[in-house]
Amino acid sequence: MFQVPVLVLKEGTKRESGHKAQLGNITAAKAVSDTVRTTLGPRAMLKMVLDAMGGIVLTNDGNAVLREIDVSHPAAKSMIELSRTQDEEVGDGTTSVIVLAGELLSVAEPFIERGIHPRIVVNAYFKALDDAVEVIDKLATKIDPNDNKAVNNVIASCIGTKYMSRHKELMCELASTAVRTIATEVDGHKVIDIKNYARIEKVPGGGVEDSCVLRGVMFDKDVTHPKMRRKINNPKILLLDCPLEYTKLESQANVEIAKESDWEALLKQEETYVEKLCSEIVKLKPDLVITEKGVSDLAQHYLMKANISCIRRVKKTENNRIAKATGATIVSRAEEAKESDLGIAGLFEVKKIGDEYFTFITECASPKACTILLRGASKVLNVMKTFDILFLNSKKDVLNEIERNLQDALCVARNIMRDPRIVPGGGATEMFVSKALGEKAKSLEGVIQFPYRAVSQAMEVIPRTLLENCGANVVRALTELRAKYASGKETPWGVNGQTGEIVDMSQYGIWEPYTVKVQTIKTAVESAALLLRIDDIVSGISKKKDDGQNASQPQNEEE
Amino acid sequence: MSSLAIYGERQSGEDVRTQNITACIAIANILRSSLGPVGLDKMLVDDMGDVIVTNDGATILKQLEVEHPAAKVLVELAQQQDEEVGDGTTSVVLLAAELLKRADDLVRRGIHPTNIIAGYRLAMRESCRFLRDTFAVSVEKLGKSCLLNTARTAISSKIIGSEIDFFANLAVEAVLAVKRKTEVGKYKYPIKAINILKKSGKGARDSQLLKGIGLNVTRASQGMPLRVSPAKIACLDFDLRRSKMKMGVQVLVEDPKELERIQEKEYEVTKSRIEAILKAGANAIFTTKGIDDAALKYFVEKNAIAVRRVAKDDMKRLAKATGASVQLTMADLGGEESFDPSFLGSAEEVVEETISDDKFIFVRGCKNLASGTIVLRGPNEYMCDEMSRSLHDCLCAVQRALESNYVVPGGGCVEASLSIFLENFATTLGGREQLAIAEFSDALLVIPKTLAANAALDATDMIAKLRAVHNAAQLDSNKGNLSHMGLDLENGHLRDNLEAGILEPAMSKIKSIQLATEAAITILRIDDLIKLKKKQEDESGEY
Repeated sequence: MFQVPVLVLKEGTKRESGHKAQLGNITAAKAVSDTVRTTLGPRAMLKMVLDAMGGIVLTNDGNAVLREIDVSHPAAKSMIELSRTQDEEVGDGTTSVIVLAGELLSVAEPFIERGIHPRIVVNAYFKALDDAVEVIDKLATKIDPNDNKAVNNVIASCIGTKYMSRHKELMCELASTAVRTIATEVDGHKVIDIKNYARIEKVPGGGVEDSCVLRGVMFDKDVTHPKMRRKINNPKILLLDCPLEYTKLESQANVEIAKESDWEALLKQEETYVEKLCSEIVKLKPDLVITEKGVSDLAQHYLMKANISCIRRVKKTENNRIAKATGATIVSRAEEAKESDLGIAGLFEVKKIGDEYFTFITECASPKACTILLRGASKVLNVMKTFDILFLNSKKDVLNEIERNLQDALCVARNIMRDPRIVPGGGATEMFVSKALGEKAKSLEGVIQFPYRAVSQAMEVIPRTLLENCGANVVRALTELRAKYASGKETPWGVNGQTGEIVDMSQYGIWEPYTVKVQTIKTAVESAALLLRIDDIVSGISKKKDDGQNASQPQNEEE
Repeated sequence: MSSLAIYGERQSGEDVRTQNITACIAIANILRSSLGPVGLDKMLVDDMGDVIVTNDGATILKQLEVEHPAAKVLVELAQQQDEEVGDGTTSVVLLAAELLKRADDLVRRGIHPTNIIAGYRLAMRESCRFLRDTFAVSVEKLGKSCLLNTARTAISSKIIGSEIDFFANLAVEAVLAVKRKTEVGKYKYPIKAINILKKSGKGARDSQLLKGIGLNVTRASQGMPLRVSPAKIACLDFDLRRSKMKMGVQVLVEDPKELERIQEKEYEVTKSRIEAILKAGANAIFTTKGIDDAALKYFVEKNAIAVRRVAKDDMKRLAKATGASVQLTMADLGGEESFDPSFLGSAEEVVEETISDDKFIFVRGCKNLASGTIVLRGPNEYMCDEMSRSLHDCLCAVQRALESNYVVPGGGCVEASLSIFLENFATTLGGREQLAIAEFSDALLVIPKTLAANAALDATDMIAKLRAVHNAAQLDSNKGNLSHMGLDLENGHLRDNLEAGILEPAMSKIKSIQLATEAAITILRIDDLIKLKKKQEDESGEY
């Protein structure tokens, strides 16, 4: 009998272990961070991503770029997850977290090559993380979240790095007003639910200057019947999430009709049902009925007769926002609607913008939800006329990017409202941390001090990238920056991302929320630690269990 | 093809044994580098591209999809250890593989497998006895710090090892928080009462232990209040959607008027159910099934929180903690539908909170039983997953230490001591078992050896020192304190691991020796392997 090699793992399984796996991970992570490196700072460049469907994404938002990229290396995937986490948690700093994590891994490379155990590196990283957070804690200053100017200033730093930097003031104003509108106080802490209650509605055309925050909501729907009123002052609004038409039964029901009169009765019945429904509604005397479901022609007729305007097929989320803005309760069955369920707004109006009709429900007394109306793109389009073909239908692409910018701004505004601590931007915070860690490293004993010092160097990647992106003389400027910090004064020197000069951040006025900065560093360090600890990658495991018999052929053990 | 009358392949004798053992050793080699506080992690990628990063032996093996039948025994072994003890999955596989390797050598030297099996059995029994009677230290004697130390030891090899104190504290607190007394007066620490929620964001340090139960669900409608207090909780296991007939049931009506009545009824059934529940005083309603959008308003009006699509497990936990009984139906004996207030459970509050971008429902201050929820935070999902696996191991270790009440010093100390003990014991026996027991004693050393090797220490040198110390401890009763010496992997010398606080639950060690031996015996007994061909191939075969 011939000796068969022993097979243990399934066919097609690949294994990589030891140094090869570790260095592979680092290379992959570096590749990811290189992808987004140029999108950091005020001189950031946009990325154009062509997705599989042929759509274009134009952005400099780290998360948006990486989300579209399909990577195969597991470590790269792990990196991409980071920017998503950052986006969900604080909404800003998605690029910095990737750049920092990539740098932390690449400074670890020489240690791994030299044979220092990854555990030691990881321990040093975590130690450095603790100290870094401490430094930032000390550095942070509080601002008054009710001081509009101070808040706007912070948002401006965030917007400054984006595509919309030209309309900085406007964007700041939009973000802070919107967040202030939807902020509610529950049990002593602020609840700000941007996802549900602050909606950004993009309408191509007009100028960016026309964008505004509505005291209420707006959505792209028209009244169902052209004769209904399109403008009502102080309307009473009824919100429904049930259809105003005859509905089929849930149960399987068949009607066997024997006589002709039965057929008629059946049709009649459907009509009377709708009529009854409408008469219930009319009794409440609303001026406007909005439903998530359909409205039959017959119901429209009855409502129109009662001089009630009606809008159908509104999104669930939209309906929720209207409820929040007007104080209405969403009614699930028209028969059960009560006077108290009605909501009140200041103005209902359907406007035609461009080619489409939009419904505005505005001037609400105390709206807890709002819509941010975003206009623009026409100006942008002019500039881009030279690239005619590509941008022919790219109005939305540009607006999409503005929306993402605004989303980031909203998040920053929210973070500031929740935790009003700020730290200097422009790489100043990173330099403070770097300096503090560098000094601390001297007092550490043993091998641990080398990776610890490496963290201090890795922190410099933020100012360095800022300098690179604005085309400054990196070496000279960075040396100057280091020298300023070495002098021991507590001035927050940082990089002016426009010119590449070294400026005092407290004068220049670039501030970032404390939460974003701390989150960036935590996420970056911990993910770097996660990747460093891996010494074995097994890939190609099939997810579902197959019958397992077809693989019984002898096969080489892969190791 | 042999002339054997089976459609397949057959291998027997030496061939099969060697092959099996080679496969087992290969499995152990995969795990080897993840053992101990300086062990590293594995990254597993499936064909969909999903990634798992882990250090847990059982998880690695489960994901690997091992093909070889003998190797599968080891995979199951790890699983078994995971279920029974929860920790020590890597070491049990290493030990089993080592036992097999040595048995293979013995067989080559002409000793019959049954002799080896008998010897292994004897050695296992003796070592368990030795561990239990003379080696284990009671938890009481060591005080509370011992729990923390057990937790620390379990965590030290994991990804959260860098935040060791933080998580050890978290684990011990969580386990102590769910302490409950059984009917027979014993204390139990059901790990299942601790729920682990994962959410990426913030840092590992921001993980927290919350009193009460956390559920990864949201309120059904945004009109509902964010918080009700005190909460009366109804747990339902039926649908609150528009009721409909079961599949295949048809209603035939003669009169069209009936149709309307059916429709009306469909609404009414659900409505009356909800009203009955609300009337019973419930203000927090949880159901495993759905709730019709049309029915949400009733809850909103009554200021109640309704939650749909709660996972079955969560529901059980919730019912147990709040004293609610899960209702499968509302029908009572009279044929009517009713809801008795006694079905309700109570808690101080039910509240929806936002963590990062997601919403969670927390039930706090449950009436009946204490329960805890650990919210884990981390840079990405992979890390959170691995943190939860690590924490689970750690919770298990603490639980075992509390319930079995005995701990042993770790860091290779137990194995070294046992190995000396067995060696001495072997010399007292005359039969062929002597050889097997001697090999068993050597095999145990694989744990300290691997620990040392992973820490990049000179394994041979360290083991020699370790054995010398333990030999002295067992020969000379004056030097009894030496029996707790183990490896100090950071600094590369020996130390008293009992004092250093490297502790493992005694039960975990005993179980892993038992399980590893049993698994090794199972594989050793095999001397014939028949692989049948698939039936389909038979039919289409060309004979």
